[in-house]
Amino acid sequence: MAEMLIKKFVVTRFDPDQDDVPRTETYEVPCHPDWKVLDGLNHIKDEIDPTLAHRWSCRMAVCGSCGMNVNGEPTLTCKKAVRDLPDTIEVTPLSNFPVVRDLVVELEGFMDKLKSVKPWIIRAKEKAVEEGPTRQSPEELEEFKQFSMCINCMLCYAACPVVANEPEFIGPAAIALGHRYSIDSRDEGAAERNEIFRGEGTVFSCSYANECSEVCPKNVDPAAAVNQAKFNAVIDWATGLVLPRGGKE
Amino acid sequence: MANAHPHAMAPAKPGKTRTAPPQRPPKFPTGGRYLAYTLFDWTGLIYLLLGFLVLKTIWTLGDGQAAWDAQIASFSHPAYIAFHILSFISVVFVGVRFFRLFPKAQPPRIGPAKPPPAPVILGMLYTVWIGATVLFGAILAGGIF
Amino acid sequence: MAELHRHDIVIVGGGAAGLRAAIAAVKARPGSSVALVSKVYPMRSHTVSAEGGAAAVARADDNLEMHGYDTVKGSDFLGDQDVIQAFVEEAPRELTQLEHWGCPWSRNEDGTVATRAFGGMTTKRTWYAADKVGFHLLHTLFQTSMQYGDIVRYDEVFVSKLLMDGNECRGVAGLDVRTGEMMGVLGRAVILATGGAGKVWPFTTNGNIKTGDGMALAYREGVPMKDMEFVQYHPTGLPGTGILITEATRGEGGHLINSEGERFLITRDYGVGTKAELGPRDMISRAEVQEIEAGRGIDSQYGQHVHLDLTHLGEEKIMKRLPMVRELSKIYAGVDPVYEPIPIRPVVHYMMGGVDVDIDGFADGVDGLLAAGEVACVSLNGANRLGSNSLTECLVFGARSGVKAVEYAKGTSDGDDAALARMGEEEQARIDALRGKQGGGEKIAAIRTDMQSAMESGCGVYREEASMQQTVRDIAALKQRFEGVTLEDKSKVFNTEIIAYLELENMLDVAESVSSSAASRNESRGAHTRKDATARDDVNWLHHTLCYYDPAGPRLDKKDVTLGRWEPEERKY
Repeated sequence: MAEMLIKKFVVTRFDPDQDDVPRTETYEVPCHPDWKVLDGLNHIKDEIDPTLAHRWSCRMAVCGSCGMNVNGEPTLTCKKAVRDLPDTIEVTPLSNFPVVRDLVVELEGFMDKLKSVKPWIIRAKEKAVEEGPTRQSPEELEEFKQFSMCINCMLCYAACPVVANEPEFIGPAAIALGHRYSIDSRDEGAAERNEIFRGEGTVFSCSYANECSEVCPKNVDPAAAVNQAKFNAVIDWATGLVLPRGGKE
Repeated sequence: MANAHPHAMAPAKPGKTRTAPPQRPPKFPTGGRYLAYTLFDWTGLIYLLLGFLVLKTIWTLGDGQAAWDAQIASFSHPAYIAFHILSFISVVFVGVRFFRLFPKAQPPRIGPAKPPPAPVILGMLYTVWIGATVLFGAILAGGIF
Repeated sequence: MAELHRHDIVIVGGGAAGLRAAIAAVKARPGSSVALVSKVYPMRSHTVSAEGGAAAVARADDNLEMHGYDTVKGSDFLGDQDVIQAFVEEAPRELTQLEHWGCPWSRNEDGTVATRAFGGMTTKRTWYAADKVGFHLLHTLFQTSMQYGDIVRYDEVFVSKLLMDGNECRGVAGLDVRTGEMMGVLGRAVILATGGAGKVWPFTTNGNIKTGDGMALAYREGVPMKDMEFVQYHPTGLPGTGILITEATRGEGGHLINSEGERFLITRDYGVGTKAELGPRDMISRAEVQEIEAGRGIDSQYGQHVHLDLTHLGEEKIMKRLPMVRELSKIYAGVDPVYEPIPIRPVVHYMMGGVDVDIDGFADGVDGLLAAGEVACVSLNGANRLGSNSLTECLVFGARSGVKAVEYAKGTSDGDDAALARMGEEEQARIDALRGKQGGGEKIAAIRTDMQSAMESGCGVYREEASMQQTVRDIAALKQRFEGVTLEDKSKVFNTEIIAYLELENMLDVAESVSSSAASRNESRGAHTRKDATARDDVNWLHHTLCYYDPAGPRLDKKDVTLGRWEPEERKY
């Protein structure tokens, strides 16, 4: 058995039934060198303090449940190795979100924002299954594929300075997903979404801090998506001035 | 740590239980990568001052030759020189940062046209920038016109 | 009970099957109110972790009959052939539908959907989106579902009981994790789509949420569990974590190598013939175990393993087709498959068994209850599932059950609200009593660990009478110990200790039905391989196993297999 690493986990605790404000609790955790931060939290939950609340499931960086701030950095805890961290590991709930309990944050706000960008294929007439699959070239796929990789882990929201100050801001992941559909060759809803993107609290709220892309664990590059969406929204508005709207679907 | 906007990421329908207020990103505004972003924002102040300076300089044109000469002479004051160096650094900083982030902000296609690859865009930006700098420098030095 | 919510149908589970059922229901009967209750936000569902692909006939050199035969043979002739027929026919439609909804399927140069080879499939019929197929499928379904206002989601609501009106299922009692309050979600039909139960074992590809909740809910209401002894071990999991390395690695040409550098599936006879690495999962998992037992495994701190070698595929192909495999190998095994082989060993992956349902998803013995996806046993997979059939299964049978459920709901009336509310109150009282429950000092984690090791020793890749019987006794003893669990968390808001308790309760019921079913089957078939009964026995055992709940201990029964055009024959590749 490999030598254990002793790490001090400093964890935010908040129980609305008992605490007025969040507090911290410290746990000494003997960590296997291969452990991720999540393994340490699960050890606390199973062996030290079963009242700790945190979300997790796949432990392979794809379900997006276990995002937290680790030593101040928005992190997927199942992906971050404890051996790459100092002896003290500070785990706090994702910033910019209301905290439900301990390390669990309120996600309903995101669900509202995601829905508002219409993240689904919009077509003037729905294609019948009998018509078979649409043809889409590998190049057309490549144009939007990166933005479809978002796992909704919320790290980008926790890093974004605009989200911190502007509650209406739809935010990186939701805009990236709306944009992903707009630039999909099978979609006809770009005009509709551009209309949304020209509204209050959307793409033009972004000041291009690029932090969302820095913390994204899946290299989605939401900052690129948001700023491409700005570009498209403007082009669409300008062509709308010159050409009559009726010419487009 | 400081609080974020109290309604940051709040749902449209109030949550069913009491929540603790959202916190700002702990490293914001001066820690880690945020420092570059914050400095980027603060360069706006330098451009504001620079703007006033240009206005003031133009204004002195109406106050006769002596005022103009005094204004030009004041540019050799160490404070002005320091300010100009700061302005230069901030312009380079903003330019480099903006250029770095510009290519990926191009949508994959604009109508039927595809933007050139990122290195080409970057090359074009730098060419225009350096070209313009050289051109203005030459004009100001009296090399042309 | 705080709230009662009435809908036409209630779906429990927000993975591929649940979401597909919800969309099918509102499209089949617009205006139907569909409740989608899930213990996690739907995009966290474990469908997200599926990697390699979804099977459906697409190419000119393929046909439905070949897909049908491959599936029957893969099932070791325990699949119901009417179900398989329906499945292969509807599969292309379903994957096409996903394409229309925006799923980013990988493409051929001409823009048609690309397909890849998979284990046990005669030709390339597995549609894929790089190696994140489950992820894309789930998010496409979830995002598509958001446009339907008639789908009302109850996210992070843990269903702890089916609400029964006599023999009819009329809704569910769900614990709102956020508030700690019970809610009644009522409907005239209920579809279970809660997935499998990999967490019953210590070493699994499954996420933390895969605790067999739907199976246990139905089991406790008298619905038989069918074919629970058939548990699929996936041949390629990372040692230590059990993280899945997709079968697509082999589909794309990866090799399995032992400590002597041999491609043992070629150099030795494991029954896979020239298919080699493209053999079915049960056979390859057995081959790996035999290699390790013969001393040709490779030592590591996590025990013995063998190697999956992709180095000859080249960086470009790996990055294009298998980017997630590379990412996972680097993060969780510390190897870069472009340059080094990946350490792998068999790992619990999938439950062939589940809630006994008919071809339309209706559960055996309870009216108004349906099930689809991994939680169900519609007998598509028989004794061994072929890789890439399960995502398609979620779509085909999810859609079917959604349509059937709204039709059923239309033909029946609402239940007695007052009686259902009373039942909900009782459930609320049960949950309330759990908060800070004083027991005998037993810990959830300890019982869970003991259950997992009991299941590994008795219901592993290879099984034998004595160890299976021991596991049956161990699980019964653990159910006793479970009574003595002490809980410390007294809070109502987001009390995850209570969720862990309820999940363990469910897992113990699943473990009971798996171990009892396994101990009863005295032959080797598909994934159920006995060292003390090595042959398949079609005379005595060509039938499904049914396992009924009884407080005194499970009761076992048999059910005929629906044969058809393919008679059982020796399963050799």
